Amino acid sequence: MKRFRTISNFKKRVLIVDDEDINRQILGNMLSETYDVDFACDGKEAWERLNEDGSDYSLILSDLLMPVMDGFELIEKVKADPVLKAVPIIVITSDKESEVRSIKLGAADFIKKPFGMPDVILARCERIIELYEDNTIIRSAEKDHVTGLYTRDLFFEYVRQIEVHQKTLDMDCLVFNIDHFHLVNEMYGRETGDAILKKVADTITEVMEEHASLACRTEGDSFYLYCEHQEKYEALMDRITEMVGSDQGPAKIRLRAGVYQDADLSLDPETMFDRAKLACDRIKGDYTVTVAYYNKELYQKAIYQEHLIENIDQSIEDEDFKVYFQPKYDITGDTPKLRSAEALIRWNHPELGMISPGEFIPLFESNGLIQKVDNFVWNKAASCIREWKDKYGYSVPVSVNVSRIDIFDSKLEEKLQNILKNNGITEKDLMLEITESAYSDNADSLTEVANRLRDRGFMIEMDDFGSGYSSLNMITTLPIDVLKLDMKFVRNMEKDEKSLKLVELIIGIAGFLDVPVVAEGVETESQLLKLKKMGCQVIQGYYFSRPVPASEFEEFIKKECV
Amino acid sequence: MITIDELKQFGANTDEGVARCMGNEEFYLKLVSTVPGQKEFTVLSDKIAEGDLSAAFEAAHALKGVLGNLSLTPLYDKVCEITELLRAKTDTDYSELLKQISDLNEELKLACGK
Repeated sequence: MKRFRTISNFKKRVLIVDDEDINRQILGNMLSETYDVDFACDGKEAWERLNEDGSDYSLILSDLLMPVMDGFELIEKVKADPVLKAVPIIVITSDKESEVRSIKLGAADFIKKPFGMPDVILARCERIIELYEDNTIIRSAEKDHVTGLYTRDLFFEYVRQIEVHQKTLDMDCLVFNIDHFHLVNEMYGRETGDAILKKVADTITEVMEEHASLACRTEGDSFYLYCEHQEKYEALMDRITEMVGSDQGPAKIRLRAGVYQDADLSLDPETMFDRAKLACDRIKGDYTVTVAYYNKELYQKAIYQEHLIENIDQSIEDEDFKVYFQPKYDITGDTPKLRSAEALIRWNHPELGMISPGEFIPLFESNGLIQKVDNFVWNKAASCIREWKDKYGYSVPVSVNVSRIDIFDSKLEEKLQNILKNNGITEKDLMLEITESAYSDNADSLTEVANRLRDRGFMIEMDDFGSGYSSLNMITTLPIDVLKLDMKFVRNMEKDEKSLKLVELIIGIAGFLDVPVVAEGVETESQLLKLKKMGCQVIQGYYFSRPVPASEFEEFIKKECV
Repeated sequence: MITIDELKQFGANTDEGVARCMGNEEFYLKLVSTVPGQKEFTVLSDKIAEGDLSAAFEAAHALKGVLGNLSLTPLYDKVCEITELLRAKTDTDYSELLKQISDLNEELKLACGK
């Protein structure tokens, strides 16, 4: 296929710099059919021409020995200029020594005096222009404009080249990631986000200066580093974290790294970096470690998780996910009264059987897929509420989980309202549970969202209270309607005095806030009696029932109706 | 104006010179006719007389380029010779070489002036 430039009509501009008119004319005559040719008598005049507005030379042909400013100085000036350095220079010379010196300074090629035959000179000019243009295109495509690092494709291409030429070097693959970076962009704007990315890139480049290494940015907030093997990366990571942390403005970020060491060169680079990424993903949200190393167990776990991720949509469609309901009983009266229920997800996988929520919920929380599960639960719960209203004329409010990621979903309120509308139920029927740790992580934004939801009439329950790190001061200002006591306190309260005291304390706090307390995980009558005595109003747990399918839950409603 | 035959007689490699000028004889001859008037001839002899061999080298070097490109072989050869001596700042008597260059240039000038 012909290249565009050979069929295009536009002529490229060439600048001929020589103090001898005869030489200028001979060269000009050779080139003028193919190019628009301009002339300069010395380096100074050439420099002025190059800096004229709209000058867009594709090539400079320059003599070396000239008055005022010689060719060497011109090459130095051009190559030091950030824009002009992309223009190739062919040196015109008759000396061997000058050839070497000018090539070292950055000249692209040289033409000997006396000139060779015109077609040879033309071919050389054409080749150099093509080479530089291709190079410029590659350079502009190979660098990520935000960080100046390589782009992913070029990075992998270079890694492949290193592998071919440096087979004896032990190399490691590292993947760096910034926790919750999308939130930085949302909260502080893209400009701040970009500045952070640049800072991280610069820091990685700086700390790796003395090691053979290659880096790129990919997927927004991930950095890939291919470098000479090192035993440990913790110290390096500490340095990077410290340097990035010292100058990052309002947003505080956390970097983590996954390492795949002594890269198996029989694997393709993408696979090697997938392994490093796997290690990196494993410590997402884990604030105790910043570097994770790839190993085989990790690989098997990842394959298993990948399987779950792949199946989520099909399982939602096929209703392999089931919503179970666990009743919550009001124990303030003489006889417990069904007050509400909590909707809980179960996954009966067609191949893997029942999968514990403990296996898939943290996984889906980490990659955002939890929104799909949450939506499924919200819809199912709402349709059950509707069905029970119709069937029994009885309203059972159901609490559903609202995950961290839902809170930052700008369509959250719209989604919930649609569900209510589609099922003809009200805000009082669908209660929203948000875990305490979500509150302590993002108190300000969460408070804002929770306030808006409450203004619309939704009830907000703080889930797993006591497991997070809320300060007493924070609790008093949080918009909540119900406190749910973390089940481990209930489980331990008869075993150790400390848990018992904490339960008393939390119930006291709820009393102070004037919100009811729901105790989860109640299994025995003695636990129930103790909690009741302390002032706990609502009980959820195996004492009344395990979580059951909707059809079984109807039995509880029927009893209430009687 | 000087002719190709006269230049051949002078010893120039006109085939090469014309080829370098993209086969354009007229253009080649026009350029050749400007050679005798090149100021570097004067600069060369003046600077040697003054003992400024660096400046003389620059002039010789410039002439060498032009004469080579026009394939004016006899002149070119002599100028090459003096250029190398001057490059090495050779302390020698340049008058004979300068005279040969001057005579050849005079010969060319006469042919061009006809």
